[in-house]
Amino acid sequence: MLRYIAYRLLAAIPTLLLISALVFFIIELPPGDYFETYVAELQAQGETVDPQKIEYLKQEYGFDKPLIERYFTWVGGMLQGDFGYSFEYELPVSEVVGNRLWLTVLVSTVTIIFTWLIAFPIGIYSATHQYSWGDYGLTFLGLLGLATPNFLLALILLYLFNVWFGMSIGHLMDAEFIDQPMSWAKFVSMVEHMIIPVIVISTAGTAGMIRRLRANLLDELQKQYVVTARAKGVPPMKALIKYPLRMSLNFFIADIGSILPAVISGAEVVAIVLSLETTGPLLIRALQSQDMYLAGSFLMFLATLTVIGVLISDIALALLDPRIRLQGGRRR
Amino acid sequence: MSRRALLLGTAGVLAMPRLAVAAPADEPPSLKSAVEAGDMPPMRDRLPLVPRVVDFEQRGKAEGRHGGRLSMLMSDAKDIRMMTIYGYSRMVGFDEKLDLVADILLDYQVEEGRIFTFRLRPGHRWSDGHPFTAEDFRYTWEDVENDEALSRGGVSAVMLVDGEPPVFEVVDDLTVRYTWPRPNPQFLPSLAGASPNYIAQPAHYLKQFHAKYAAAEDLERLVAENNSRDWVALHTVKARAYRPENPDLPTLEPWMNTTPPPAERYIFKRNPYFHRVDPSGRQLPYVDEVYFGISSADIIPAKTGSGDSDLQARYLRFDNYTFLKQGAAAHDFDVRLWKDGTGSQVAYVPNLNVNDPVWRALFHDVRFRRALSLAVHREEINQQFYFGLANPAANCVLPGSPLYKPEYEQAWAAYDPDRANALLDEIGLERGRYGWRHLPDGRRAELIIELAGGNEESDVTQLVVEYWGKLGLRVFPRSMQLDNMRRRFLSGDTMMSVWSGLNIGYATPDMPPEELAPVSSVQGSWPKWGQFLETGGMAGEKIELPEVQRLADLFQQWRVSSDTAERRAIWHQMLSIFTDQVFTIGTINGALQPVVVRNSLRNVPDKGIYAFSPVAYFGVYMPDTFWFDRE
Repeated sequence: MLRYIAYRLLAAIPTLLLISALVFFIIELPPGDYFETYVAELQAQGETVDPQKIEYLKQEYGFDKPLIERYFTWVGGMLQGDFGYSFEYELPVSEVVGNRLWLTVLVSTVTIIFTWLIAFPIGIYSATHQYSWGDYGLTFLGLLGLATPNFLLALILLYLFNVWFGMSIGHLMDAEFIDQPMSWAKFVSMVEHMIIPVIVISTAGTAGMIRRLRANLLDELQKQYVVTARAKGVPPMKALIKYPLRMSLNFFIADIGSILPAVISGAEVVAIVLSLETTGPLLIRALQSQDMYLAGSFLMFLATLTVIGVLISDIALALLDPRIRLQGGRRR
Repeated sequence: MSRRALLLGTAGVLAMPRLAVAAPADEPPSLKSAVEAGDMPPMRDRLPLVPRVVDFEQRGKAEGRHGGRLSMLMSDAKDIRMMTIYGYSRMVGFDEKLDLVADILLDYQVEEGRIFTFRLRPGHRWSDGHPFTAEDFRYTWEDVENDEALSRGGVSAVMLVDGEPPVFEVVDDLTVRYTWPRPNPQFLPSLAGASPNYIAQPAHYLKQFHAKYAAAEDLERLVAENNSRDWVALHTVKARAYRPENPDLPTLEPWMNTTPPPAERYIFKRNPYFHRVDPSGRQLPYVDEVYFGISSADIIPAKTGSGDSDLQARYLRFDNYTFLKQGAAAHDFDVRLWKDGTGSQVAYVPNLNVNDPVWRALFHDVRFRRALSLAVHREEINQQFYFGLANPAANCVLPGSPLYKPEYEQAWAAYDPDRANALLDEIGLERGRYGWRHLPDGRRAELIIELAGGNEESDVTQLVVEYWGKLGLRVFPRSMQLDNMRRRFLSGDTMMSVWSGLNIGYATPDMPPEELAPVSSVQGSWPKWGQFLETGGMAGEKIELPEVQRLADLFQQWRVSSDTAERRAIWHQMLSIFTDQVFTIGTINGALQPVVVRNSLRNVPDKGIYAFSPVAYFGVYMPDTFWFDRE
C-alpha cells in the first residue's frame, strides 16, 4: 500500500508539469495579451491610454520576452510559492485569491452536504420502491432540478426572496457586515444569503446522484446474498444498509476526486449571477481578460487538487471494497 | 510663532483677505472629536487661506449639512478610479457650462497660448496635512516625468509641442510656470480631463520611494516589504493617483480611499483638508463617506432597483428604466433621465484601411458612404429602441455643445433609400439576378459588420442589416470580443465595426478635436493612418484620401493654435468635413441615461449630461455638494 502511494505521488510530478505547460500555452493561445484587452476596454468607455505607458507595462511584466522564458519563470516562481502577478488587480496572485478562498470552501462544503442529505434518502427510497408513485415523483423532481438552467433558477429565486423577504440581492452577506468581525447578526446574514446558492447548486447535483445510487442499489438488491439474507429473516433495514448500500457506494467514493477541486472552484456561473465573493467569478474574469498568471495559477491549483483527490478516492475505494486490488505498475 | 503665522509669512500673502466668507461655520460633526482631542487642527486652519467658494446660486444648489454615507455599486476592482472621476478635483476644471475655471489652483494665467503661470492657494494642504506647494510640481516634472527610470517612454505626449517639452520654473513657493516655444492648447484641457494629467504629486510622501532621495538601505527594505521588483515598480504603484489603490497616498480629492485592494467594498472617507467650501463657509464635501460595493455588472440594475444604491448611473441602461421605476416608490428613490453625451449611441465605422482592395476603393468613395447613411431609417430605430425619446442624427456634436450646428446633425442623415440606390447605381454596383448587388470584380457585395458591444448594438444592427439589404448589399453581423475586434481592424481584416460615436458630444472649441482626425491606431475608421501619425511614420500607412489629410492638417493647426476663436474656426471646418464626408454613420444621439437618486439626496441635478468626457460623469455636478436631508 505504502509503495503504491509513493508510486502515485511520484507519478504526479510529471503529470502536473505537463498540465502546467498545457495551461500556460492554452491561455497564451488567443492572440494578444492582457494589456491589449485593457486598452480595448478603456477605449470602449471613451477613456484613452498613453501607448507609451502600455509599452512600459509590457516590458515591466516581461511581455517582450519569448514564451518559453516566461513559462519557466512562472513555473519556477510557483515552486517557490510565488504565483505571479495579477495585472487586473495589480497585486500578487496569492493576495487576490486568499481572501476569497475560505468563503468558497464554506459555500461548496455546505452545498455538497446538502446535496448528499437530499440525494441519499431519495436514492434509497427510489431503489427500494422501484416504479412506485414516490419513485416517479421524486425522480421527476430531481430531473427538474437538473434540467432547469442554474442561472435562471438563481435569478428567479433572487427576485422572489427579495420581494417576499426583502433580502438584499446577491453576495454572501449584507453589505454592512463586510470587513466586520464575526457576530451573530453577521452569521445570520450569511446563512440567509447562502440559501439561494445552496438550493440552486444542489438541485443540479442531486438528480445525477439519485440516479446513480438508485441504479447501483437496484443491482445489489437483486443479488443472491440479499435475497438469502431476507429469506433468513435479517431485519429489512439491516439487509439494506449493511451490505447492499455499502456496495453501491463505489461511485460515491470515486467522486471524491472531483469533489476536492469543486470545493475550491464552486459553481462559477451561479456565483457570477449571484455576485458571490467566491473564486469562481475571479477565474472566469481572469480568463476573459487574459490575466494569465491569475488564471494559470488557479487552474494549476485545481489540477493539483484533482490529482490529490483521485489518489484519495483510489485509496478509499480499496479500503471500502476488498474486490479492488492495488496493483500499481505490476501487471501481467 | 504658530505654524499658521509661519505659513502666512512664508507665503507672503498677509494682505490677502482671510476668508472669502465672514461667519465661522460649523465643523463637520464627524471630525469634531478629533479636533477637540487636538489630533486635527480646526477647520479654519485646515482650509486654504483662500478656499474655493462654490457658487451655489449660479448652479441652483441648496446649502446642506454634513454627514451621511453615500453608497454606490461598481463592478470590479478597477472601478475605484470612478472616485477620482466623480470627485473631480482638478488644477483647472470644467464647470457646468463647460468653461474652464481654476479649482485647485487659485488662478492661472496664459500668455500667447504658450506661457502658463499657475498660482496655488496659500495654506492648501494634502489630505495628510502636509502643505501643497510648488515643490510638488517640481518633483513631478523633474523627478518623475523626466526621470529615465520612472518614465521610460519619456515625457507624456500632451506635454510636448512638436516634440519639445516645456521649460519649467518655480517662480516662488506658490507659483509655477510652464513655457513652450509654441502654443499648447491641449495643456489646460488635459488638466481638466476626467482622467487628468497629473502635474503635481505629493513629493513629501513619494520621495521615500525615489532612489534620488531615499537612502539605499531604506529603499531596499521598502521594496522587499512590498514585494516589488525594484524601486521603479514600487514608486509607480505607490504614486498611482487615478486609480487610488494606495490608501496612504495623500490626495487633493474630496474623498480618499481607506481600503487596500482586493476588497468587496471600498470605503472613501472625507478629506479633512479639502479646499472647497459652500457659501456659508462650511467645508465640503457634505457627505462623510462614500462606499463602493463591488457586485457583478449584471446584477447591478437589480440591486439598484431594490434600493441598494444611493446614486447610480454606471451599469444602468435605458432598457432598465421601467424596472427601476417599479422599485422607486417601495425603495425610496427617484429615477431621473439624463442625456447621454456621446455623438451617436450606435455608429457604423467603415474601415478605410481594409485590406480587400475592392472594398477599400468602395469605402474611399464618398458616394458609397453617403448611400449607406441615407438608407438608415433613424426615426424607426428611435421609435423601436428608445421610445422615440432620442434624436435621429449623424455622428457629430450634440445640441448644447457650443459647436453644434443643425447642418452637421442633418448631413446625409435623412431617410432617402431612393437616393441611396441611385448613388450605388452611379458607382456602378450592378444588381444581379436575385437583386443583390455585385462588386466591380464580380463578387457579390457582402459586407461584414463586426460588433463587440451589448444588446443595444446588436438590436440596432438587426435593423441596419435590413436597411442595407434593401440597397442590395448582403450584410452579416458578427459578434466578437472587444480586443479581438480592435486587433482585427488594425490588421485590415475588419470591413466595418460598430462603436458609439464621438465621445465628446458636448465638445467645446478648447477641447482637442482628435476624434475627428487620424491620430491613433485605436480609431476604427483609419487605424493604419492613425498609426502612421502616432508613430511618426515608423508604422502604418500614409494617408491616401485628401479629405482625411485635410482633417489631419487641421488637427495639427489646432495643436498650435493660440486662441479660442481660431480653435472654433478649426473645429467647425473639421466638423463640416467629417459630417459631409460621412466617415462614420451615426444613428441616433441624445439617448437617455437613467440616474437613480435616493429621495433624501439633495443637489443632484434633475437634468444633466452623462459622459466620461468632458463632464466626468457626475464630476462637474460636484458630488461634494450633494447632501442627505434626513427630514
